[in-house]
Amino acid sequence: MQKETLNRLQKLNQLRLTDAEETNVLSFFAAREEEMNILNSIDTETVERMVHVMPIETVVREDKVIKSFTREQLQAGAPETTDGYWQVPRLVE
Amino acid sequence: MKLYIAKNEGAVGKRIALDDMILTKDLPTAAGSRMLDGYMSLFDATVVEKAMAAGYAIDGKLNVGEFGIDLMGETSYYGAIATDGHLVSAAAAAIEDGATAVLSLDVNGAPRRAAAQSGTVCVKPTYGTVSRFGTVPAACSGECVAVTAGTAADCEALLDVVAGYDAKDGTSLPDALRGEAKPIRRVAVLTALTDGVDAETVARIEAAKAALSKNGIEVAKIDGGELIAARVAWNILMSAELCNNVSRYDGIKYGYRTPSYKTIDELYTNSRTEAFGAFLKTVILFGSETLSTDTYMKVYDQALRVRRVLVEYFKSLFETVDAVLLPACSTCAYEENVDPELAFTENLYTAPASVTGLPAVVFGGVQLIGDAFSDKALLQLADLCEKEGK
Repeated sequence: MQKETLNRLQKLNQLRLTDAEETNVLSFFAAREEEMNILNSIDTETVERMVHVMPIETVVREDKVIKSFTREQLQAGAPETTDGYWQVPRLVE
Repeated sequence: MKLYIAKNEGAVGKRIALDDMILTKDLPTAAGSRMLDGYMSLFDATVVEKAMAAGYAIDGKLNVGEFGIDLMGETSYYGAIATDGHLVSAAAAAIEDGATAVLSLDVNGAPRRAAAQSGTVCVKPTYGTVSRFGTVPAACSGECVAVTAGTAADCEALLDVVAGYDAKDGTSLPDALRGEAKPIRRVAVLTALTDGVDAETVARIEAAKAALSKNGIEVAKIDGGELIAARVAWNILMSAELCNNVSRYDGIKYGYRTPSYKTIDELYTNSRTEAFGAFLKTVILFGSETLSTDTYMKVYDQALRVRRVLVEYFKSLFETVDAVLLPACSTCAYEENVDPELAFTENLYTAPASVTGLPAVVFGGVQLIGDAFSDKALLQLADLCEKEGK
């Protein structure tokens, strides 16, 4: 894997690695790339993808109002709130 | 080093412990991560509700590796649990401490490895038979709530309580889709998956074969090398799903927020960078890469196809045998400072059941994988073998 790819992945995932962590990640990726030989040795050209192991279709339920949580309960674990809103840094100057 | 992240000192009667991937409204849930340190859920997981309704008291929340993907808890924000330089099973320690059983989320086989190394019994049920509602999502297409106990009978008793359809879990199997298990009469040892394990694990396989034979089970041998691909497929699917599932942690609505930021991007990046451990970051980046435009078809799509190949392989295997016998891990103990990346190779033994959704039972340090819905039959067989060994 190229260093540029790793930089792109860090940005995409909102993560920042130290130099030592980058070295580890590159070695981890190399190990994963090598083991792809095992998967690639299996002919899957005529095999369909299997997302769910059980034969369950997308589950839908009746659209009805049920008792939910209050705003106070939902925001109880928030790092910062103001007047019942989640507080974030100013986005527009 | 903490065994319990939170302890319910008032618990009396039949007590069970939960690993910290299972949400409780009265005790914090951190999933072994600084990101959720001190997080209080607004509700109990369905398995917790069911256990409490059946008279079990919740003893506390057990330390777990960050988002449950490591070997045996070594990546926990609260530190690994170790004795004499080796990792210790939190579930086994809780059982020794008086808990009847432990519920854990089996994401990458950690509860099964812990059971094998501690001599406890663990069942990872058939996917969809036990509700995952109220568990911290990590790798949703294969993870299951597992039960660990000192005996197969205690495992079965709690499994009976927590199993069943749950409308709140979109992957819960309706009763009409739940099959009946046939009795287990023939078991095949997977020789390709017993190569390379330590001498004690080999001895445990031999002891299990002898106990099975004494109980009238026909024991055969097959290579099973096809299942080596399960590990690779699960590494890809688990990482991709984990990457998506932890994308919700951004330092805004709940969880850790960095004290150091000026812009929204800095808030996101610094919060995630400071709160997530090194191994988790590695897995997130790998999962993200498997889903990127350039590699999706070659990697993620191929893993999904191989999952079907493996399901079909087991299906054909279970036409001639009723279960397979294999180790749950390669060694009887992990060193305290083990590299967590070993979880991506050591899951050679646990991934076959994770990726296919099949039930697995660990007893006497070995693992049995059976056909879908054979959970109880596997536990009853483990019970017979346990009695044989006494």
